[in-house]
Amino acid sequence: MTSTHIAQVKRASRLSHDAGWGYLMVAPTILGLIILNIYPFFHSIYMSFSETMLFGNWEWVGLDNYRKMFSDPNMWRATGNTLYFVLLTVPLGIFLALAFASMLNSQIKGRDGLRAIYFLPMIVAPAAIAMVWKWLYNTEYGLINQFLGLFGADVKINWISNPKLALPAAAIVAIWSSIGYDIILLLAGLQAIPRSYYEAADIDGANFISKFFHITVPMVSPTMFFVLIMRLMAALKQFDLVYMMITDTNPAFQQSQTLMYMFYRESFQVGNKGYASALVLWTFVIILAFTAIQFVGQKKWVHYDQ
Amino acid sequence: MKTRILALFLILGLVLSLAACGGSTSTTAAAGGDQAATTAAPAGDTGEKVKLTFGIWDSYQKPGMEALAAAYTAKNPNVSIEVQVTGWDEYWTKLEAAASGGELPDIFWMHTNEFVKYASNNMLVDVTNLYDGATDAGYSNFPEGLVKNFTYDGKLYGVPKDWDTIGLAYNKEIFDQAGVKYPDDTWTWDTLVEAAKTIKEKTGIYGFAAPYDDQQGFLNTVYQAGGFTVADGKTGYNSDATKMGLAYYISLQKDYDFSPTQEQFADADAGTLFQSGQVAMQFLGSWNITPYMNNEDIKGKFDIAILPKATNPVSGEGRASIYNGLAYATSTKGKNQAAALEFLKFLGTKEANIIHGESGAAIPAFNGTSETWLTKFPELNLKAYTDMMDYGIQFPGSKTKSKWGPIEKQTIMEVYNGTLTVDEAVAKLETEVGAILATE
Repeated sequence: MTSTHIAQVKRASRLSHDAGWGYLMVAPTILGLIILNIYPFFHSIYMSFSETMLFGNWEWVGLDNYRKMFSDPNMWRATGNTLYFVLLTVPLGIFLALAFASMLNSQIKGRDGLRAIYFLPMIVAPAAIAMVWKWLYNTEYGLINQFLGLFGADVKINWISNPKLALPAAAIVAIWSSIGYDIILLLAGLQAIPRSYYEAADIDGANFISKFFHITVPMVSPTMFFVLIMRLMAALKQFDLVYMMITDTNPAFQQSQTLMYMFYRESFQVGNKGYASALVLWTFVIILAFTAIQFVGQKKWVHYDQ
Repeated sequence: MKTRILALFLILGLVLSLAACGGSTSTTAAAGGDQAATTAAPAGDTGEKVKLTFGIWDSYQKPGMEALAAAYTAKNPNVSIEVQVTGWDEYWTKLEAAASGGELPDIFWMHTNEFVKYASNNMLVDVTNLYDGATDAGYSNFPEGLVKNFTYDGKLYGVPKDWDTIGLAYNKEIFDQAGVKYPDDTWTWDTLVEAAKTIKEKTGIYGFAAPYDDQQGFLNTVYQAGGFTVADGKTGYNSDATKMGLAYYISLQKDYDFSPTQEQFADADAGTLFQSGQVAMQFLGSWNITPYMNNEDIKGKFDIAILPKATNPVSGEGRASIYNGLAYATSTKGKNQAAALEFLKFLGTKEANIIHGESGAAIPAFNGTSETWLTKFPELNLKAYTDMMDYGIQFPGSKTKSKWGPIEKQTIMEVYNGTLTVDEAVAKLETEVGAILATE
C-alpha cells in the first residue's frame, strides 16, 4: 500500500512539475494577449465613454459619444455599406472556395501547381493588391475596360467611381485575395473525408449531386463553419481595400465607406479618438451578434462526428 | 530534460529579442548610425557626438534639406543629421503618435493646418528669442504674414521656412494647337472659360482641370470674389461673395464639358492629367514646380501665369491667391534640444535660405532670397508666383481645423455629387463649422 501511495505522490508531483513547464511555455503568448489584446479592449471601452483631447488627454463624457453615433447618418450609412459588403463577399466567397477546393481535390492535371497559384494572392501585401486592382479598374486605361471593349464598342465603366459599382468592385478584390486561404482550409477538410463513404455511395448508385450534398457538405461542415466565421469577421472589419481604392473625394465615397474606414478617419484625421472608440465598440457588437447567430445555428447544419 | 533546457533557452531568446525591438529609441531611429546619440548629456559639451533626426513629408525636397544639413554639419562636425521622409498622408498621424509618446524628431516641418494644435498643447519650443543679439539674422527678415502664422499667444514657435502661392499652369503646346493666346494678366474668370471652351472644341483635349480642391481650388475663387471661409474665429460661408466664388469654381467642372468629372479625377488626379498632356490648364501651387520639372513628359511644355481675376467681384479688386508657408520647429520633449535649437537657428539665416532656394525645394522665406528659387528654372515665368504674393491670402486654418476641415470637404463634395445646392451647402457649413469654431 505504501508503494502505491509513493507512486501516486510521485506521479502527482511529476504532473505538477509538467504543469509548471506548461505554464512557462504559454506565458509569452498569454502575456502578449493580455498586453496587446485584452487590456486595449477594456481601454477602448473606457475611451468610448470619454472625449479625447489632443495628445493623449481625455475626459469622461458618459453616453455622449453613443448618442452622437446613433444620430449620425454617416454611421448608419457606413453600417449599411459594411453589411452590404458582407452580403457581397461571404456567400459567394465560400461557395467559390468550396467549388475550387473540390476541383483541387480531384485528380486533375497540374493540380499541385494550381493549388500554389490559387494561394499566391495571400502572400501579396494588401496595399499592393489594392493599387494594382485600382489600376485594373481605371476607366480610361484599365485592363478590365480594355478587355471588355474587345467585344464591341468602347467600354467606359466607372468601376470605382460609380456609387453603385464601387463596393461590388472592392468585393471582387476581397474575394480574389482571400480565396486562397479558404481553399486551403476547405481542402484539408475535404481530404479528411474517407474515400470509403464515396465508394459506398457509388455502390448504392448515388449520382454526383447527391454525393455532394449528402457526403461532402456534411463532412466538411465543421471546416466550412470555421471559414464562415473568419470570412464574416474579415468582411465586417474591411478597411484597407476600400481605403486605398476609394478616397474621400471620390463621388462613390459615401456609398463605400465601411465602419472601419470611418473609424480610421475619426481616429487619425479628425482626432476624435473617443468617438472612434464608440464606433469600434459598435462594430464589435455587430460582429458578436453575427457570431452568436452562427454558433446557435451550427447545431442545425454542422455535422460533428465523434 | 534536454528538451526542457532547449525550451528554456528558446523562451529566453524570444524575450530578449522582444526587449531589443522595443528598446532604445535613439538607436532604432538611425539607419546605420555609427555615432551614438547622447541621451543625458546636453549637446553643449564639445566633442560629444550628437545625432539629430529631421522629419519632412516631401521627398522632392529631400535633397534640399540634405544640402542644409550638410552645410551645417560642415561647420559643426560633432553633429550628424538624418533626414526622414514620411508621405503627407501619414506624416501627421505619425507625428501625433510620436508627440503623445514623446518621440518627435529633433527638427520637423510644421504646417499652418496643425500649428495651433501643437503650439497650444506645449509641444513646440518657444523660439521667440532665438536670434536675440544676432546682427544679421532675426524675424524682421521674414514676411510678416509668415511670422504671424507661427505665432501663438504672442510667442513664436517655429522658424519660417518657405512660402508658396497658387498660379495658373498652362500647356503651351495645347494652346498652340488650339490657336489660343497664352494667359496673361488681363485674364478674368470669363476669359478662362472662353479659352477652355475653345481648346476643348478645337483639340478635343480638356481645357481646364477643376477637381475638388481647397488650397489649389475654390478658396482662390472665393477670396477673388471678395468672400472668406474662416477667419478670426468666424465663418463667412453664407455671404454673396463666398457663394459667388464657390459656385464659379464648381461650375467649371459641372456646367461645362471642358473639365474632367469628379469620377475621372478619382481615377487620375489633376496633376497626373496635366503632366500627361490630358488637360491644358490647372491651378498649381508653387511646390509642384520641382516635381513637374523632373518629369520629362511635361518639362519644357508648360509655363505659369498669374491667376485670372474675378469679373465682377462683390468687393475688392478681384485678385487673390492662397498662400501658405511652412516652418521648422522642435519639440519641447526632445532629448537633444540644445543641438536642435542651434540647427534651427542656422536654418533661419540668410545663408541657409540661399542654399534652400538654390536647391529648388521651395521659395525660401528670408526676404530677398526668393530670387534664388526663381533662377533655378529660368525658362519658366516663376515670377508669377512671387507676383501673386501681393494678393496673398493665408490658407485658412484654426485650432480645430482637423474637425471642421473634413466637414467642409464632405459638404462641398455633396454639391459635386448633386445632393446639395451651393446655397444649402453654405448654410450647412455656416452652422456646423460655426459650432466647432465656437468651442475654441
